[in-house]
Amino acid sequence: MIPIEYWLVFSSLLFVIGAYGVMTRRNAIVVLMCIEIMLNAANINLVMFSSYHTVLHGTADPSGQAFALFSIAIAAAEVAVGLAIILSVYRRYQTIDVDKINILRW
Amino acid sequence: MLEYAWLIPVIPFVAFLLIALLPKRTLFWEDGAVYGIAGAFGALALSVIVIWQVLMGETLTVDAPRTTWIIVGDFQIEFGIWIDQLTAIMLLVVSVVGTLVVIYSGGYMHEEGEGRRRYYAEIMLFISVMYGLVISDNYLQMFIFWELVGLCSYLLIGFWYTKPSAASAAKRAFIVTRVGDIMFMAGIIILFKYVGNLDFAQLFSESTAHQVPSDMMTLATALIFGGAIGKSAQFPLHEWLPDAMEGPTTVSALIHAATMVKAGVYLIARSYPLLVQAPDSLLLVAVIGGVTALIAATVALAANDIKRVLAYSTISQLGYMILGLGAGGYLVIHANSPGGYAAATFHLMNHAFFKALLFLCAGSVIHAIGTNDMRLMGGLGRKMRITSTTMLVGAIAIAGIPPFSGFWSKDEVLAAVYHAGEFDPAFFLLWAMGIATAFMTAFYMFRMWFMTFAGEPRSDYHAHESPKIMTVPLMILAGLAMVSGFALFIGEGFKGFMERSIEELVPGTAHETVGDVAVGIFTDPLTYVSLVLAVVGILLAYRMYYVPGFDRSVFAKGFSGKLQRALENRWYISKFYDDFAIRVVYAFSLVADLFDRYVIDGLVNGFAYLGGRGGNVLRRAQDGNVQRYTSLIIVGICLLLILVLYVLPWGGW
Repeated sequence: MIPIEYWLVFSSLLFVIGAYGVMTRRNAIVVLMCIEIMLNAANINLVMFSSYHTVLHGTADPSGQAFALFSIAIAAAEVAVGLAIILSVYRRYQTIDVDKINILRW
Repeated sequence: MLEYAWLIPVIPFVAFLLIALLPKRTLFWEDGAVYGIAGAFGALALSVIVIWQVLMGETLTVDAPRTTWIIVGDFQIEFGIWIDQLTAIMLLVVSVVGTLVVIYSGGYMHEEGEGRRRYYAEIMLFISVMYGLVISDNYLQMFIFWELVGLCSYLLIGFWYTKPSAASAAKRAFIVTRVGDIMFMAGIIILFKYVGNLDFAQLFSESTAHQVPSDMMTLATALIFGGAIGKSAQFPLHEWLPDAMEGPTTVSALIHAATMVKAGVYLIARSYPLLVQAPDSLLLVAVIGGVTALIAATVALAANDIKRVLAYSTISQLGYMILGLGAGGYLVIHANSPGGYAAATFHLMNHAFFKALLFLCAGSVIHAIGTNDMRLMGGLGRKMRITSTTMLVGAIAIAGIPPFSGFWSKDEVLAAVYHAGEFDPAFFLLWAMGIATAFMTAFYMFRMWFMTFAGEPRSDYHAHESPKIMTVPLMILAGLAMVSGFALFIGEGFKGFMERSIEELVPGTAHETVGDVAVGIFTDPLTYVSLVLAVVGILLAYRMYYVPGFDRSVFAKGFSGKLQRALENRWYISKFYDDFAIRVVYAFSLVADLFDRYVIDGLVNGFAYLGGRGGNVLRRAQDGNVQRYTSLIIVGICLLLILVLYVLPWGGW
C-alpha cells in the first residue's frame, strides 16, 4: 500500500497548483480549471482517508467515498454554471480576461 | 480724632464722584475745579489735624479701628488705618503738593475745554487713592490702592490719548510698573503663606521673624522691593518715568512729587521691620538705589527737554532715597541707629516740595511759550520773573546748597551711606556714586536753569508771566523748599520724630538732640566734600551755559562725543527695551507662529493627510479583484496556520 504521506503530498501539490492558478491566471476558463484541480485535490484526500480507515481502525467507512461522489456532482454543476457565466460575459464584453471585467470595481 | 483719618481719602473721592457724575452746568468754574479744590482742601485740613496730633505724640497703629471686608470661613480680611510718623510725613506731602497742584491746574488746564472735567475727576481719584495707600494697615489693602494709583497714573499720563506718543507712554507706564506689581504681589503671597495674615500689626510683631524662614524672608522682601523698583522708577524699570512726561505737567508734578513714585519709597520705608531681617535684600535695595541715582543723573546731563531733565532728576533723587533706606537698614541692624531711615524719609519730604516746585515752574514755562525744548528757550528770566525766581529756588534746593532743603536731607543720606560703609565696604562705593550724583545734579539743574531763563532768546516766542492762580502755588512751594530743611532742627528734630515710627527696631538707641545733629553735620568733612562738589557743578554750568562764547562742540568729538550720544540716547536702555520688544518678542512670536502653523496645524493637517493617504493605500486591498482577495485569504490562512501550529506551541501556550 502506498504510504499515506505520499497521498498527502500529492493532494497538497494539486491544491497548491490550483490555488496558484486561481491567484495568477487571467483567463476565466483557466481559473475555473484551477478551481477544479483544487476540488479534486480535496476529493483525493476524501477517498484516501476513506480507504485508510480500515487500515487504521479495522472497520470500513464509506462516507469518504460518498462525499467524493457528492463533491464531483457539485463540481459538475459548478462547471456548468461557471461556463455559462463565462459564455455570457464573453458575449457582453468580447473578453474573458478577469482583469478587464471590472465594471463593478472602483 | 485719629480714628477719623479714614475720611481723608473719602473726601477727594467724593469730589471725584461729584465731578464725574454731576450735570455739566452744575460744575461751575473750570468744569469742576471748584469741587477739586474743595476736596483737596478738605483732605488737607483733615491731614493737618492728623499730622498735628502725630506731632503731639499720638499714633494709631496696632489698636486702630478696623472693618471687615471679606469673610471666608475662618479667614477674614480686614481694612483699617495705620497712622504713625511715616504716615504723617506722607500725608503732609500728598496733601500739600496735591492741593497746590489742583489749584495750579485751574490756570494751567484752562485751555483744555471739555477735557477738564475728566482731568479733575481723575486727579481727585489719584489723590484719593494715594491717601488710601498711605493710611493702609495691611499689605492687601495697600496693594489694592497701589494698583489704583497705577491705574490713575495711566489715565492721566494718557490724558491726551489721541496723541500716539501719550497713549504709548501711558501704556508703558502701566505695563512697566505692572512688572513690579507682580513682584510685590508675589512677595506678599510668600508672607501670607508663612504668617497667614497680611496685617502690619501681625507682620511687624516679634513673632513673625520666627515664622518665616530667613531665606524666604529675603526672597519676600526682595520681591516687595521689586514692587518699589517698578513704582519708584528704579533701574532697570526706570524708563517709563521720562516717557510719562507726555501727560500734562501738573500730572508730572503730582506723580513725581507726591503720589506715584513716592509710593515705592513709602513701601520700602513701611516694610522696614521686615527688611531689617533680610540684610541681603537691604544691600540689593542700596545697590539699586545707588546705581539708579548715578545712571539717571548722567542721562539728565544731556537731555534737552526741560521736563525730561526733571524726570531724570526725579529718578536720581528717588535713587538717593532708596539708597538711604538700604544703608539705613544696615545702620539699624549694626549700629542701632535710625539715621538712614530718617534721612531717606526726610529727603522724600524735601524732594516732594522742591520737585513739585520745579515741575510747576516748568509747566509755567511750557504754558507761556508752548514748547518743552530748552534749545528754543533762553532769556525767559526777564519775561517771567516769578517763575524764574521760584525755579532758581528749586534748583538751589535740589543742588544741595545750604540753607535750602535739599542740602540737609541729601547730606544726611550720604552720611548714612558712608557710615553703613563701616559694616559693608560696598557702601563706600555707593557713597562715591552718591557724591558723583550730587555733583552732576548741581550741574544739570543749573544747566537747565541757564538754558531756560538766562541769555538771549533762541527762538521767536511771545512769553508772558503766568496768571496768579499758577504763580501763588509756586511761591508757596518755593517757601517750603527754602524752609522744609529746618524741620531737622525744630522741636525734637525730624530724626527724633521719625525714630519713633521704628522705635521697636532700635531699642535703647541714644537719642540725638537737635544740637548733636547740627554739630554732626557741620563738623563732618564729608559735608564739605558734597558742598564743594555742588558749587563746582554750578560754576561749571555757569561757565558752559551762561558765559557766552564757550564752544560746547568740543564735546561732540571722539570719545566724549560717543559718551554724549550715549547719554542723549539714555544709555540705550530705552532702545534696549524697544529692541528687546521688537527683536526678541518678535522672534519669539515668529517661532510661536511657525510652531502654530507647522506643529499645531501640521498635526491636524497631518492626521487628515495620513487618513487620506492611508485610505489611498488601503483601498488597493479592496480593489474588487477577486484574485487578489483570494491571494490575501490564502496568505492569511497560511499565516494563521503557522501561528497556530508552530508559533503558539513554541511560545508555550
